[in-house]
Amino acid sequence: MAGNGEPISEAEALEQLRQTDDQSGQYYAAWWLGRMRSRHPEAVPLLLAALRQRQPRDVGAGVEHNAVARNAARALGKIADGRAVSELLVVLDDADDGLREAAARALGELRAVEAVPLLTRRLASGPDVAGANRSDSPRLQEPCEALLEALGAIGVAEPDVLAVIEPFTGHGRPLVRSAACRALLQLTGETAWADELLQLLQHPQLQVRRAALMDLGAVGWRPALEPIRRTLAENSLKLIALRGLVENGSGSASGSETGSDDEAVLMAMDALL
Amino acid sequence: MTAASGDSRLAADRIRAFELAGSAEELVLATRRLIACDDPLATVPHLVQVLGFNNPGAAVAAVDGLIALGPAAVGPLLANLDAHNYGARAWAVRALAGIGDIRGLDVLEDALATDVGPSVRRAAARGLGALRLESLSVEERQQVRERCLAGLESGLGDGEWVVRYAVAVGLEGLALPLPPGHPHSDRAEASLGQLLDPEREDTLVVRLRAGVALKRVNAR
Repeated sequence: MAGNGEPISEAEALEQLRQTDDQSGQYYAAWWLGRMRSRHPEAVPLLLAALRQRQPRDVGAGVEHNAVARNAARALGKIADGRAVSELLVVLDDADDGLREAAARALGELRAVEAVPLLTRRLASGPDVAGANRSDSPRLQEPCEALLEALGAIGVAEPDVLAVIEPFTGHGRPLVRSAACRALLQLTGETAWADELLQLLQHPQLQVRRAALMDLGAVGWRPALEPIRRTLAENSLKLIALRGLVENGSGSASGSETGSDDEAVLMAMDALL
Repeated sequence: MTAASGDSRLAADRIRAFELAGSAEELVLATRRLIACDDPLATVPHLVQVLGFNNPGAAVAAVDGLIALGPAAVGPLLANLDAHNYGARAWAVRALAGIGDIRGLDVLEDALATDVGPSVRRAAARGLGALRLESLSVEERQQVRERCLAGLESGLGDGEWVVRYAVAVGLEGLALPLPPGHPHSDRAEASLGQLLDPEREDTLVVRLRAGVALKRVNAR
């Protein structure tokens, strides 16, 4: 029973995704294809079909179809095939904010410049509206973290984009502040945003420290090496953050040549194994 | 003699404080104090006990303390391995990997090959390249190294990048003390070559680490 997380082959995953009776099978198959970054010619068309399987939002019922669609959106981001962009842009305006969140992250992974106007439009009302608490759930009106992270990843550093992001650095939730600083640091390279993230590494809540670790890793901010080492968090997360410093860092080597900066980060990683 | 009995009394006091620790923070402090009182026989069983408390701060302190105690900690660690307490087992593997005593070989081999937790497999991989073989005869060294190498070679196919990263570190540790051209060194270098190859290894940081390892092995 594939839905229980047992290993399956690529052919089985495609078959599981093609059928529509067993949604837990589809859910698992969509995840599997993304995780394996499947290059099979049928993978992207089937994932797009699963994404179109989404339903109008019906609070309290029928979330199963959208769970499949969410995993399909995530997988399309991981496979990073440009054919997915136009459908993901449509999903960015879906009524289901969980789907909007998955689509935003996928568009960020796809570096889809076409998504920037839509992403900024969803955030333009600022922390008090887009970033307001919902009355019916602990979530915000918009999936702010995902939208902000996507803008940072896509990399369009126009003044109007920066102006939409900046107010979120004062949001009441530290995780949103962290996402906004991450995006601004990626877009501008200004140290002030890194300093905010370094502060968050010392936040009393572990969840916030974890987010700041991931954000500094995503930016690849090399001066964060020592603060990351000292952060009170699991070694597993510090290793992911340090991997980010090596792979995303400015001045990072491509291919197999390593500079002395790289080697310092690698030695810090060795000590965390 | 007087000093020794003074230490024992100190240890006894601190063990009592440790047993009375009521909060997570108190336990971390009490664990650090236990480590500081340099009385392995009295403190090791308590440090091993800490690994099963689901208190990461205290467990980190206990693992550091057990590694510092070295071989004296290995017997109690092996005797108290708890197959049913996943977290405790993970910390014990980390301690054994850090100590490098060959009595831990079975556990490290098994952990790299079968443990469900990447954090345990990565610690085991590092440990398989860091066993202290100086006290063994030449034949025994060969046999132990053969097993470590076989385990690390299987680890090349691990699905988690961080485990393959640790395999690169383990292979470096295993090859560095060997003379160039030694058959085990050649095998380690061949495996590192596989981790360096973009066709076979898709994670950049793993390739970079394998490159550093080969550079060091070639410079020996």
